[in-house]
Amino acid sequence: MKKRTLSQIIILLILIAGVVVVVLPMIYMVSTSLKPNGALYEYPPRFFPKLDEITLENYQYILAQKKFIRNFINSLFVSIVTVTVSAIVSSALAYCIARFRFPGRTVLFAFIILTMIIPGMTMIIPQYELAVKLGTINRLGGLIPFYVAWVIPYSTFMIKGFVENIPRELDEATYMDGGSVFTVYFRIVLPLAKPGIASVSIFNFLTAWEEFPWANTVINDDFKRTLPIAISGFFGQHQFTQWGYVFALSVLSLLPILIVFIACQKFFVAGLTSGSVKG
Amino acid sequence: MKLKAKGKIQIGVLLLPGLLIFGLFTVYPIVRLFIMSMTKWDFGSFANQELIGFANYMEVLTDKDFHVVFGNTIIYTLITVPGQMILGLLIALLINSLLRGQIPFRVAYYLPVITSWVIASLVFKYVFNTEGLLNYFLCNVIHLSKQNIHWLDTRWGGMAVAMLLGTWKGIGWNMVVFLAALQTVPLELYESAALDGANSWHKFFDITIPSIRGTILFALVMLTIGGFNVYTSIKLITDGKPGHQTDVVLTWMYYKAFSAGKFGYAAALSFIIAIVLAILAVIQFRLMENKE
Repeated sequence: MKKRTLSQIIILLILIAGVVVVVLPMIYMVSTSLKPNGALYEYPPRFFPKLDEITLENYQYILAQKKFIRNFINSLFVSIVTVTVSAIVSSALAYCIARFRFPGRTVLFAFIILTMIIPGMTMIIPQYELAVKLGTINRLGGLIPFYVAWVIPYSTFMIKGFVENIPRELDEATYMDGGSVFTVYFRIVLPLAKPGIASVSIFNFLTAWEEFPWANTVINDDFKRTLPIAISGFFGQHQFTQWGYVFALSVLSLLPILIVFIACQKFFVAGLTSGSVKG
Repeated sequence: MKLKAKGKIQIGVLLLPGLLIFGLFTVYPIVRLFIMSMTKWDFGSFANQELIGFANYMEVLTDKDFHVVFGNTIIYTLITVPGQMILGLLIALLINSLLRGQIPFRVAYYLPVITSWVIASLVFKYVFNTEGLLNYFLCNVIHLSKQNIHWLDTRWGGMAVAMLLGTWKGIGWNMVVFLAALQTVPLELYESAALDGANSWHKFFDITIPSIRGTILFALVMLTIGGFNVYTSIKLITDGKPGHQTDVVLTWMYYKAFSAGKFGYAAALSFIIAIVLAILAVIQFRLMENKE
Protein backbone atom coordinates (compact mmCIF):
# COMPACT_ATOMS: atom_id res chain seq x y z
CA MET A 1 0.00 0.00 0.00
CA LYS A 2 2.83 2.34 0.84
CA LYS A 3 4.35 1.95 -2.60
CA ARG A 4 1.04 2.97 -4.13
CA THR A 5 0.83 6.15 -2.05
CA LEU A 6 4.36 7.07 -3.08
CA SER A 7 3.62 6.63 -6.78
CA GLN A 8 0.45 8.70 -6.39
CA ILE A 9 2.49 11.51 -4.86
CA ILE A 10 5.06 11.38 -7.68
CA ILE A 11 2.32 11.50 -10.34
CA LEU A 12 0.70 14.41 -8.51
CA LEU A 13 3.99 16.31 -8.41
CA ILE A 14 4.66 15.78 -12.14
CA LEU A 15 1.14 16.91 -12.98
CA ILE A 16 1.45 20.01 -10.81
CA ALA A 17 4.79 20.89 -12.43
CA GLY A 18 3.13 20.48 -15.85
CA VAL A 19 0.22 22.72 -14.87
CA VAL A 20 2.65 25.43 -13.71
CA VAL A 21 4.41 25.38 -17.09
CA VAL A 22 1.12 25.35 -19.00
CA VAL A 23 -0.53 28.22 -17.12
CA LEU A 24 2.64 30.33 -16.82
CA PRO A 25 1.84 32.45 -19.91
CA MET A 26 -1.68 33.12 -18.59
CA ILE A 27 -0.37 34.18 -15.19
CA TYR A 28 2.14 36.46 -16.85
CA MET A 29 -0.67 38.03 -18.86
CA VAL A 30 -2.70 38.72 -15.72
CA SER A 31 0.32 40.01 -13.78
CA THR A 32 1.29 42.35 -16.64
CA SER A 33 -2.22 43.73 -16.77
CA LEU A 34 -1.90 44.64 -13.08
CA LYS A 35 1.37 46.57 -13.47
CA PRO A 36 1.41 50.32 -14.04
CA ASN A 37 1.75 50.92 -17.77
CA GLY A 38 5.12 52.67 -17.38
CA ALA A 39 6.69 49.66 -15.68
CA LEU A 40 6.34 47.54 -18.82
CA TYR A 41 9.46 48.98 -20.36
CA GLU A 42 11.38 48.80 -17.15
CA TYR A 43 14.56 46.80 -17.05
CA PRO A 44 14.90 44.17 -15.70
CA PRO A 45 11.50 42.72 -16.59
CA ARG A 46 9.76 41.06 -13.67
CA PHE A 47 7.33 38.18 -13.66
CA PHE A 48 5.26 39.61 -10.82
CA PRO A 49 4.69 43.27 -10.00
CA LYS A 50 5.89 44.49 -6.61
CA LEU A 51 3.07 44.33 -4.11
CA ASP A 52 2.87 48.10 -3.73
CA GLU A 53 2.75 48.74 -7.48
CA ILE A 54 -0.24 46.51 -8.22
CA THR A 55 -2.81 48.72 -9.86
CA LEU A 56 -6.10 48.55 -11.72
CA GLU A 57 -5.31 51.59 -13.87
CA ASN A 58 -5.17 49.55 -17.09
CA TYR A 59 -8.64 48.20 -16.39
CA GLN A 60 -9.92 51.67 -15.49
CA TYR A 61 -8.59 53.00 -18.80
CA ILE A 62 -10.22 50.20 -20.81
CA LEU A 63 -13.56 50.43 -19.03
CA ALA A 64 -13.65 54.22 -19.43
CA GLN A 65 -13.42 53.92 -23.23
CA LYS A 66 -16.82 53.77 -24.89
CA LYS A 67 -15.46 51.90 -27.90
CA PHE A 68 -14.23 48.92 -25.88
CA ILE A 69 -17.59 48.58 -24.16
CA ARG A 70 -19.14 48.59 -27.63
CA ASN A 71 -16.63 45.95 -28.84
CA PHE A 72 -17.61 43.76 -25.91
CA ILE A 73 -21.33 44.13 -26.67
CA ASN A 74 -20.64 43.53 -30.39
CA SER A 75 -18.85 40.25 -29.65
CA LEU A 76 -21.60 39.15 -27.30
CA PHE A 77 -24.29 39.98 -29.88
CA VAL A 78 -22.56 38.26 -32.79
CA SER A 79 -21.72 35.16 -30.73
CA ILE A 80 -25.17 34.73 -29.21
CA VAL A 81 -27.02 35.17 -32.53
CA THR A 82 -24.55 32.82 -34.28
CA VAL A 83 -25.04 30.16 -31.60
CA THR A 84 -28.84 30.43 -31.65
CA VAL A 85 -29.26 30.41 -35.43
CA SER A 86 -26.78 27.57 -35.96
CA ALA A 87 -28.39 25.45 -33.21
CA ILE A 88 -31.80 25.69 -34.90
CA VAL A 89 -30.55 25.31 -38.48
CA SER A 90 -28.05 22.51 -37.79
CA SER A 91 -30.39 20.43 -35.64
CA ALA A 92 -33.05 20.65 -38.39
CA LEU A 93 -30.50 19.57 -41.01
CA ALA A 94 -29.18 16.79 -38.78
CA TYR A 95 -32.71 15.50 -38.11
CA CYS A 96 -33.62 15.41 -41.81
CA ILE A 97 -30.34 13.75 -42.85
CA ALA A 98 -30.61 11.15 -40.08
CA ARG A 99 -34.26 10.25 -40.62
CA PHE A 100 -35.39 10.91 -44.20
CA ARG A 101 -34.27 10.17 -47.74
CA PHE A 102 -34.68 13.27 -49.88
CA PRO A 103 -33.19 14.25 -53.24
CA GLY A 104 -29.65 15.57 -52.86
CA ARG A 105 -29.17 14.06 -49.41
CA THR A 106 -25.92 12.31 -50.35
CA VAL A 107 -24.52 15.40 -52.07
CA LEU A 108 -25.39 17.55 -49.06
CA PHE A 109 -23.69 15.15 -46.66
CA ALA A 110 -20.63 14.93 -48.91
CA PHE A 111 -20.31 18.72 -48.91
CA ILE A 112 -20.66 18.77 -45.11
CA ILE A 113 -17.75 16.33 -44.73
CA LEU A 114 -15.69 18.14 -47.39
CA THR A 115 -16.07 21.55 -45.73
CA MET A 116 -15.07 20.06 -42.38
CA ILE A 117 -11.76 19.08 -43.95
CA ILE A 118 -10.73 22.18 -45.87
CA PRO A 119 -9.70 25.30 -43.92
CA GLY A 120 -12.50 27.87 -43.81
CA MET A 121 -9.99 30.58 -44.64
CA THR A 122 -9.32 29.17 -48.12
CA MET A 123 -12.75 30.54 -49.07
CA ILE A 124 -12.00 34.06 -47.88
CA ILE A 125 -11.57 35.56 -51.38
CA PRO A 126 -14.91 34.44 -52.87
CA GLN A 127 -16.59 35.14 -49.53
CA TYR A 128 -15.18 38.65 -49.55
CA GLU A 129 -16.52 39.13 -53.08
CA LEU A 130 -19.90 37.82 -51.91
CA ALA A 131 -19.92 40.20 -48.93
CA VAL A 132 -19.23 43.11 -51.27
CA LYS A 133 -22.10 42.04 -53.56
CA LEU A 134 -24.48 41.65 -50.62
CA GLY A 135 -23.38 44.97 -49.12
CA THR A 136 -22.40 43.44 -45.77
CA ILE A 137 -18.87 44.88 -45.67
CA ASN A 138 -18.27 46.88 -42.48
CA ARG A 139 -21.58 45.76 -40.98
CA LEU A 140 -21.57 43.92 -37.68
CA GLY A 141 -24.64 41.83 -38.55
CA GLY A 142 -22.96 40.85 -41.80
CA LEU A 143 -20.55 38.65 -39.86
CA ILE A 144 -23.32 36.36 -38.64
CA PRO A 145 -24.36 34.47 -41.83
CA PHE A 146 -20.71 33.71 -42.59
CA TYR A 147 -20.08 32.43 -39.05
CA VAL A 148 -23.25 30.32 -39.17
CA ALA A 149 -22.20 28.87 -42.53
CA TRP A 150 -18.76 28.00 -41.10
CA VAL A 151 -20.11 26.14 -38.07
CA ILE A 152 -22.99 24.34 -39.84
CA PRO A 153 -20.90 21.36 -41.11
CA TYR A 154 -19.37 20.43 -37.75
CA SER A 155 -22.56 21.15 -35.81
CA THR A 156 -24.75 19.13 -38.19
CA PHE A 157 -22.29 16.23 -38.18
CA MET A 158 -22.15 16.10 -34.36
CA ILE A 159 -25.90 16.56 -33.76
CA LYS A 160 -26.65 13.90 -36.40
CA GLY A 161 -24.73 11.42 -34.23
CA PHE A 162 -26.95 12.25 -31.28
CA VAL A 163 -30.16 12.05 -33.35
CA GLU A 164 -29.18 8.60 -34.64
CA ASN A 165 -29.00 7.40 -31.05
CA ILE A 166 -32.66 8.31 -30.45
CA PRO A 167 -34.78 5.15 -30.94
CA ARG A 168 -36.94 5.32 -34.08
CA GLU A 169 -39.83 3.80 -32.12
CA LEU A 170 -40.33 7.21 -30.50
CA ASP A 171 -40.86 8.74 -33.97
CA GLU A 172 -43.26 5.95 -34.95
CA ALA A 173 -45.27 6.35 -31.76
CA THR A 174 -45.59 10.08 -32.40
CA TYR A 175 -46.84 9.48 -35.94
CA MET A 176 -49.34 6.90 -34.63
CA ASP A 177 -50.71 9.54 -32.28
CA GLY A 178 -51.30 11.78 -35.29
CA GLY A 179 -48.08 13.79 -34.90
CA SER A 180 -46.26 15.30 -37.87
CA VAL A 181 -42.61 15.73 -38.88
CA PHE A 182 -42.63 19.00 -36.94
CA THR A 183 -44.04 17.30 -33.84
CA VAL A 184 -41.18 14.77 -33.88
CA TYR A 185 -38.65 17.56 -34.31
CA PHE A 186 -39.97 19.70 -31.45
CA ARG A 187 -41.15 16.99 -29.02
CA ILE A 188 -38.56 14.23 -29.60
CA VAL A 189 -35.44 15.39 -31.42
CA LEU A 190 -34.84 18.76 -29.76
CA PRO A 191 -35.31 17.55 -26.16
CA LEU A 192 -33.39 14.28 -26.58
CA ALA A 193 -30.48 15.69 -28.61
CA LYS A 194 -30.09 18.56 -26.15
CA PRO A 195 -26.69 17.45 -24.78
CA GLY A 196 -25.31 17.31 -28.33
CA ILE A 197 -26.80 20.68 -29.26
CA ALA A 198 -25.44 22.17 -26.03
CA SER A 199 -21.92 20.90 -26.62
CA VAL A 200 -21.69 22.15 -30.21
CA SER A 201 -23.18 25.45 -29.07
CA ILE A 202 -20.30 25.96 -26.66
CA PHE A 203 -17.82 25.40 -29.49
CA ASN A 204 -19.77 27.70 -31.77
CA PHE A 205 -19.74 30.41 -29.11
CA LEU A 206 -15.98 30.05 -28.78
CA THR A 207 -15.56 30.14 -32.58
CA ALA A 208 -17.57 33.32 -33.02
CA TRP A 209 -16.09 34.94 -29.90
CA GLU A 210 -12.47 34.51 -30.99
CA GLU A 211 -12.79 34.71 -34.79
CA PHE A 212 -10.06 36.96 -36.15
CA PRO A 213 -9.21 36.82 -39.89
CA TRP A 214 -12.67 37.38 -41.33
CA ALA A 215 -13.80 40.14 -38.95
CA ASN A 216 -10.40 41.78 -39.37
CA THR A 217 -10.91 41.78 -43.14
CA VAL A 218 -14.47 43.06 -43.42
CA ILE A 219 -14.86 45.42 -40.43
CA ASN A 220 -12.84 48.63 -40.30
CA ASP A 221 -14.89 50.89 -38.05
CA ASP A 222 -13.68 51.12 -34.40
CA PHE A 223 -17.21 50.93 -33.03
CA LYS A 224 -18.25 47.95 -35.16
CA ARG A 225 -15.27 45.80 -34.25
CA THR A 226 -15.45 42.62 -32.24
CA LEU A 227 -13.07 42.04 -29.31
CA PRO A 228 -10.27 40.09 -31.06
CA ILE A 229 -9.95 42.89 -33.62
CA ALA A 230 -9.98 45.53 -30.88
CA ILE A 231 -7.21 43.69 -29.02
CA SER A 232 -5.00 43.29 -32.08
CA GLY A 233 -5.82 46.91 -33.00
CA PHE A 234 -3.43 48.11 -30.30
CA PHE A 235 -0.64 47.28 -32.73
CA GLY A 236 0.19 49.72 -35.45
CA GLN A 237 -2.14 52.39 -34.09
CA HIS A 238 0.33 53.61 -31.53
CA GLN A 239 4.01 54.30 -31.78
CA PHE A 240 4.75 51.73 -29.12
CA THR A 241 2.50 48.99 -27.83
CA GLN A 242 0.82 49.57 -24.50
CA TRP A 243 0.96 46.02 -23.28
CA GLY A 244 -0.84 46.83 -20.03
CA TYR A 245 -3.95 47.85 -21.99
CA VAL A 246 -3.60 44.90 -24.38
CA PHE A 247 -3.57 42.39 -21.56
CA ALA A 248 -6.25 44.12 -19.47
CA LEU A 249 -8.61 43.92 -22.46
CA SER A 250 -7.48 40.32 -23.08
CA VAL A 251 -8.28 39.30 -19.50
CA LEU A 252 -11.71 40.96 -19.74
CA SER A 253 -12.44 39.17 -23.01
CA LEU A 254 -11.49 35.80 -21.52
CA LEU A 255 -13.99 36.13 -18.65
CA PRO A 256 -17.16 35.16 -20.59
CA ILE A 257 -15.35 32.16 -22.06
CA LEU A 258 -14.20 31.03 -18.62
CA ILE A 259 -17.74 31.39 -17.27
CA VAL A 260 -19.23 29.40 -20.15
CA PHE A 261 -16.49 26.78 -19.88
CA ILE A 262 -16.81 26.23 -16.14
CA ALA A 263 -20.62 26.28 -16.19
CA CYS A 264 -20.86 23.81 -19.10
CA GLN A 265 -17.85 21.56 -18.42
CA LYS A 266 -20.02 18.46 -18.56
CA PHE A 267 -21.23 19.18 -22.12
CA PHE A 268 -17.77 20.22 -23.22
CA VAL A 269 -16.28 16.80 -22.64
CA ALA A 270 -19.36 15.00 -24.02
CA GLY A 271 -19.08 16.90 -27.30
CA LEU A 272 -15.37 16.35 -27.68
CA THR A 273 -15.40 12.67 -27.03
CA SER A 274 -18.55 11.48 -28.80
CA GLY A 275 -16.81 11.98 -32.14
CA SER A 276 -13.54 10.40 -31.18
CA VAL A 277 -14.48 7.25 -29.32
CA LYS A 278 -16.94 6.18 -31.98
CA GLY A 279 -14.55 7.05 -34.77
CA MET B 1 -41.90 5.06 -43.94
CA LYS B 2 -44.49 6.59 -46.27
CA LEU B 3 -44.96 10.27 -45.74
CA LYS B 4 -47.95 12.31 -46.77
CA ALA B 5 -47.60 15.51 -48.79
CA LYS B 6 -47.77 17.50 -45.54
CA GLY B 7 -44.78 15.61 -44.22
CA LYS B 8 -42.76 16.34 -47.32
CA ILE B 9 -43.52 20.04 -47.08
CA GLN B 10 -42.47 20.04 -43.43
CA ILE B 11 -39.17 18.35 -44.28
CA GLY B 12 -38.65 21.02 -46.92
CA VAL B 13 -39.36 23.77 -44.38
CA LEU B 14 -36.84 22.27 -41.94
CA LEU B 15 -34.17 21.91 -44.63
CA LEU B 16 -34.63 25.25 -46.32
CA PRO B 17 -32.86 27.68 -43.92
CA GLY B 18 -29.81 25.44 -43.56
CA LEU B 19 -29.58 24.76 -47.29
CA LEU B 20 -29.90 28.46 -48.11
CA ILE B 21 -27.18 29.59 -45.67
CA PHE B 22 -24.84 26.67 -46.37
CA GLY B 23 -25.43 26.91 -50.12
CA LEU B 24 -24.97 30.65 -50.46
CA PHE B 25 -22.14 31.23 -48.00
CA THR B 26 -20.14 27.99 -48.35
CA VAL B 27 -20.98 25.92 -51.43
CA TYR B 28 -21.26 28.88 -53.81
CA PRO B 29 -17.90 30.34 -52.65
CA ILE B 30 -16.19 26.98 -53.25
CA VAL B 31 -17.50 26.89 -56.83
CA ARG B 32 -16.59 30.56 -57.29
CA LEU B 33 -13.12 29.88 -55.88
CA PHE B 34 -12.55 27.23 -58.52
CA ILE B 35 -13.58 29.63 -61.30
CA MET B 36 -11.38 32.39 -59.84
CA SER B 37 -8.42 30.04 -59.76
CA MET B 38 -8.76 29.66 -63.54
CA THR B 39 -9.03 33.39 -64.11
CA LYS B 40 -6.42 36.03 -64.82
CA TRP B 41 -7.40 38.48 -62.14
CA ASP B 42 -5.22 40.97 -60.37
CA PHE B 43 -5.23 44.69 -59.62
CA GLY B 44 -4.19 45.41 -63.21
CA SER B 45 -6.93 43.36 -64.86
CA PHE B 46 -10.07 44.12 -62.90
CA ALA B 47 -12.04 45.06 -66.00
CA ASN B 48 -11.32 42.04 -68.16
CA GLN B 49 -11.05 38.79 -66.27
CA GLU B 50 -10.23 36.12 -68.78
CA LEU B 51 -10.15 32.39 -68.26
CA ILE B 52 -6.58 31.11 -68.46
CA GLY B 53 -6.95 27.46 -67.47
CA PHE B 54 -4.36 26.13 -65.08
CA ALA B 55 -1.79 28.92 -65.56
CA ASN B 56 -2.32 30.20 -62.00
CA TYR B 57 -1.70 26.72 -60.64
CA MET B 58 1.55 26.52 -62.60
CA GLU B 59 2.58 29.92 -61.27
CA VAL B 60 1.94 28.82 -57.67
CA LEU B 61 3.68 25.47 -58.01
CA THR B 62 6.81 26.95 -59.61
CA ASP B 63 6.99 29.93 -57.23
CA LYS B 64 10.07 29.79 -54.94
CA ASP B 65 8.21 31.74 -52.21
CA PHE B 66 5.46 29.15 -52.29
CA HIS B 67 8.02 26.39 -51.72
CA VAL B 68 9.23 28.20 -48.61
CA VAL B 69 5.75 28.77 -47.14
CA PHE B 70 4.59 25.26 -48.03
CA GLY B 71 7.74 23.87 -46.40
CA ASN B 72 7.03 25.96 -43.30
CA THR B 73 3.48 24.59 -43.12
CA ILE B 74 4.68 20.99 -43.47
CA ILE B 75 7.35 21.48 -40.80
CA TYR B 76 4.83 23.19 -38.50
CA THR B 77 2.47 20.23 -38.92
CA LEU B 78 5.18 17.56 -38.61
CA ILE B 79 6.41 19.04 -35.32
CA THR B 80 3.26 20.29 -33.60
CA VAL B 81 1.06 17.26 -34.36
CA PRO B 82 3.26 14.57 -32.74
CA GLY B 83 4.27 17.06 -30.05
CA GLN B 84 0.70 17.68 -28.95
CA MET B 85 -0.28 14.03 -29.23
CA ILE B 86 2.64 12.69 -27.18
CA LEU B 87 2.36 15.32 -24.45
CA GLY B 88 -1.44 15.08 -24.41
CA LEU B 89 -1.35 11.30 -24.15
CA LEU B 90 1.32 11.42 -21.44
CA ILE B 91 -0.73 13.83 -19.33
CA ALA B 92 -3.90 11.80 -19.97
CA LEU B 93 -2.10 8.65 -18.74
CA LEU B 94 -0.92 10.43 -15.59
CA ILE B 95 -4.34 11.93 -14.86
CA ASN B 96 -6.00 8.58 -15.55
CA SER B 97 -3.81 6.87 -12.97
CA LEU B 98 -4.72 9.40 -10.28
CA LEU B 99 -7.04 7.85 -7.72
CA ARG B 100 -8.67 11.20 -6.91
CA GLY B 101 -8.58 14.83 -7.97
CA GLN B 102 -8.69 14.33 -11.74
CA ILE B 103 -11.09 17.20 -12.50
CA PRO B 104 -8.92 20.19 -11.45
CA PHE B 105 -6.08 18.95 -13.67
CA ARG B 106 -8.43 18.43 -16.57
CA VAL B 107 -9.66 22.01 -16.24
CA ALA B 108 -6.16 23.50 -15.81
CA TYR B 109 -4.63 21.71 -18.79
CA TYR B 110 -7.60 22.73 -20.92
CA LEU B 111 -7.21 26.47 -20.26
CA PRO B 112 -4.87 27.14 -23.23
CA VAL B 113 -7.42 25.53 -25.58
CA ILE B 114 -10.15 28.02 -24.66
CA THR B 115 -7.76 30.98 -24.74
CA SER B 116 -8.27 32.72 -28.08
CA TRP B 117 -5.53 32.55 -30.72
CA VAL B 118 -5.25 36.33 -30.70
CA ILE B 119 -4.59 36.54 -26.97
CA ALA B 120 -2.26 33.52 -26.86
CA SER B 121 -0.25 34.91 -29.80
CA LEU B 122 0.18 38.30 -28.14
CA VAL B 123 1.33 36.74 -24.87
CA PHE B 124 3.95 34.66 -26.72
CA LYS B 125 5.04 37.69 -28.72
CA TYR B 126 5.53 39.60 -25.47
CA VAL B 127 7.45 36.80 -23.76
CA PHE B 128 9.75 36.18 -26.76
CA ASN B 129 10.37 39.86 -27.47
CA THR B 130 14.07 40.65 -27.83
CA GLU B 131 13.83 42.76 -24.67
CA GLY B 132 11.31 40.35 -23.17
CA LEU B 133 11.15 38.22 -20.09
CA LEU B 134 12.56 35.03 -21.61
CA ASN B 135 15.75 36.65 -22.89
CA TYR B 136 16.26 38.31 -19.53
CA PHE B 137 15.86 34.92 -17.87
CA LEU B 138 18.27 33.20 -20.30
CA CYS B 139 20.97 35.91 -20.19
CA ASN B 140 20.82 37.38 -16.71
CA VAL B 141 19.34 34.67 -14.49
CA ILE B 142 20.64 31.31 -15.73
CA HIS B 143 23.37 32.74 -18.02
CA LEU B 144 22.68 30.35 -20.89
CA SER B 145 23.21 33.04 -23.50
CA LYS B 146 25.61 36.00 -23.62
CA GLN B 147 23.29 38.33 -25.51
CA ASN B 148 19.58 38.67 -26.20
CA ILE B 149 18.36 36.19 -28.78
CA HIS B 150 16.39 37.72 -31.65
CA TRP B 151 13.65 35.08 -31.56
CA LEU B 152 11.22 36.88 -33.81
CA ASP B 153 13.70 38.22 -36.39
CA THR B 154 14.84 34.95 -37.96
CA ARG B 155 13.04 32.24 -39.92
CA TRP B 156 13.62 29.41 -37.47
CA GLY B 157 13.30 31.58 -34.37
CA GLY B 158 9.89 32.81 -35.50
CA MET B 159 8.79 29.36 -36.58
CA ALA B 160 9.95 27.88 -33.27
CA VAL B 161 7.85 30.35 -31.29
CA ALA B 162 4.78 29.66 -33.46
CA MET B 163 5.28 25.90 -33.13
CA LEU B 164 5.74 26.16 -29.38
CA LEU B 165 2.50 28.14 -29.19
CA GLY B 166 0.66 25.62 -31.39
CA THR B 167 1.83 22.72 -29.23
CA TRP B 168 1.08 24.51 -25.95
CA LYS B 169 -2.42 25.39 -27.12
CA GLY B 170 -3.26 21.89 -28.35
CA ILE B 171 -2.11 19.68 -25.46
CA GLY B 172 -5.38 20.13 -23.54
CA TRP B 173 -7.56 18.98 -26.43
CA ASN B 174 -5.47 15.83 -26.87
CA MET B 175 -5.53 15.22 -23.13
CA VAL B 176 -9.35 15.27 -23.01
CA VAL B 177 -9.75 13.11 -26.12
CA PHE B 178 -7.19 10.52 -24.96
CA LEU B 179 -8.53 10.50 -21.41
CA ALA B 180 -11.97 9.55 -22.74
CA ALA B 181 -10.40 6.79 -24.84
CA LEU B 182 -8.31 5.45 -21.94
CA GLN B 183 -11.44 5.13 -19.83
CA THR B 184 -12.93 2.72 -22.38
CA VAL B 185 -10.01 0.26 -22.22
CA PRO B 186 -11.26 -2.83 -20.27
CA LEU B 187 -9.44 -3.15 -16.93
CA GLU B 188 -9.45 -6.96 -17.21
CA LEU B 189 -6.88 -6.71 -19.99
CA TYR B 190 -4.41 -5.06 -17.63
CA GLU B 191 -5.19 -7.48 -14.82
CA SER B 192 -4.57 -10.58 -16.89
CA ALA B 193 -1.39 -9.03 -18.31
CA ALA B 194 -0.22 -8.35 -14.75
CA LEU B 195 -0.80 -12.02 -13.93
CA ASP B 196 1.42 -12.90 -16.89
CA GLY B 197 4.11 -10.72 -15.38
CA ALA B 198 3.96 -7.88 -17.93
CA ASN B 199 5.65 -4.64 -16.88
CA SER B 200 4.28 -1.14 -17.44
CA TRP B 201 6.01 -0.72 -20.81
CA HIS B 202 4.54 -3.93 -22.14
CA LYS B 203 1.09 -2.99 -20.87
CA PHE B 204 1.36 0.38 -22.57
CA PHE B 205 2.54 -0.87 -25.96
CA ASP B 206 0.61 -4.16 -26.07
CA ILE B 207 -2.70 -3.09 -24.52
CA THR B 208 -3.13 0.68 -24.27
CA ILE B 209 -1.88 1.73 -27.70
CA PRO B 210 -3.81 -0.95 -29.70
CA SER B 211 -6.97 -0.24 -27.70
CA ILE B 212 -6.96 3.49 -28.45
CA ARG B 213 -5.75 3.21 -32.05
CA GLY B 214 -9.05 4.61 -33.38
CA THR B 215 -8.69 7.71 -31.23
CA ILE B 216 -5.05 8.18 -32.22
CA LEU B 217 -6.03 8.22 -35.89
CA PHE B 218 -8.98 10.53 -35.21
CA ALA B 219 -6.61 12.97 -33.45
CA LEU B 220 -4.13 12.65 -36.30
CA VAL B 221 -6.75 13.65 -38.89
CA MET B 222 -8.06 16.58 -36.83
CA LEU B 223 -4.60 17.89 -35.92
CA THR B 224 -3.28 17.67 -39.49
CA ILE B 225 -6.21 19.84 -40.59
CA GLY B 226 -5.39 22.13 -37.65
CA GLY B 227 -1.73 22.37 -38.71
CA PHE B 228 -2.70 23.60 -42.17
CA ASN B 229 -5.18 26.02 -40.56
CA VAL B 230 -2.53 28.00 -38.72
CA TYR B 231 -2.94 31.70 -39.50
CA THR B 232 -3.54 34.02 -36.55
CA SER B 233 -0.40 33.13 -34.59
CA ILE B 234 1.93 33.70 -37.57
CA LYS B 235 0.05 36.85 -38.59
CA LEU B 236 0.33 38.42 -35.14
CA ILE B 237 3.73 37.11 -34.00
CA THR B 238 5.96 37.52 -37.07
CA ASP B 239 3.60 38.62 -39.89
CA GLY B 240 5.82 36.53 -42.16
CA LYS B 241 8.97 38.52 -41.36
CA PRO B 242 11.84 38.51 -42.20
CA GLY B 243 10.93 38.71 -45.90
CA HIS B 244 8.28 35.99 -46.28
CA GLN B 245 10.50 33.52 -44.46
CA THR B 246 8.02 32.66 -41.70
CA ASP B 247 4.82 32.77 -43.74
CA VAL B 248 2.62 29.68 -43.90
CA VAL B 249 0.22 28.82 -46.72
CA LEU B 250 -2.75 30.76 -45.31
CA THR B 251 -0.85 33.95 -44.39
CA TRP B 252 0.83 33.81 -47.81
CA MET B 253 -2.52 33.35 -49.57
CA TYR B 254 -3.96 36.29 -47.61
CA TYR B 255 -0.97 38.47 -48.46
CA LYS B 256 -1.16 37.58 -52.15
CA ALA B 257 -4.88 38.39 -52.31
CA PHE B 258 -5.35 41.40 -50.07
CA SER B 259 -1.91 43.07 -50.20
CA ALA B 260 -0.46 42.08 -53.58
CA GLY B 261 -3.84 41.94 -55.34
CA LYS B 262 -3.08 38.65 -57.10
CA PHE B 263 -6.53 37.12 -56.72
CA GLY B 264 -6.10 34.43 -59.36
CA TYR B 265 -2.84 33.23 -57.79
CA ALA B 266 -4.36 33.27 -54.29
CA ALA B 267 -7.46 31.38 -55.43
CA ALA B 268 -5.32 28.69 -57.09
CA LEU B 269 -3.24 28.46 -53.90
CA SER B 270 -6.42 28.07 -51.81
CA PHE B 271 -7.60 25.29 -54.05
CA ILE B 272 -4.24 23.52 -53.82
CA ILE B 273 -4.42 23.64 -50.00
CA ALA B 274 -7.95 22.22 -50.10
CA ILE B 275 -6.90 19.39 -52.42
CA VAL B 276 -3.82 18.52 -50.35
CA LEU B 277 -5.94 18.32 -47.18
CA ALA B 278 -8.67 16.29 -48.86
CA ILE B 279 -6.06 13.77 -50.08
CA LEU B 280 -4.40 13.59 -46.66
CA ALA B 281 -7.78 13.08 -44.98
CA VAL B 282 -8.75 10.28 -47.39
CA ILE B 283 -5.42 8.52 -46.77
CA GLN B 284 -5.83 8.82 -43.02
CA PHE B 285 -9.47 7.65 -43.10
CA ARG B 286 -8.40 4.63 -45.18
CA LEU B 287 -5.74 3.83 -42.60
CA MET B 288 -8.39 4.06 -39.91
CA GLU B 289 -10.71 1.63 -41.72
CA ASN B 290 -7.94 -0.88 -42.46
CA LYS B 291 -6.71 -0.99 -38.90
CA GLU B 292 -10.14 -1.63 -37.39
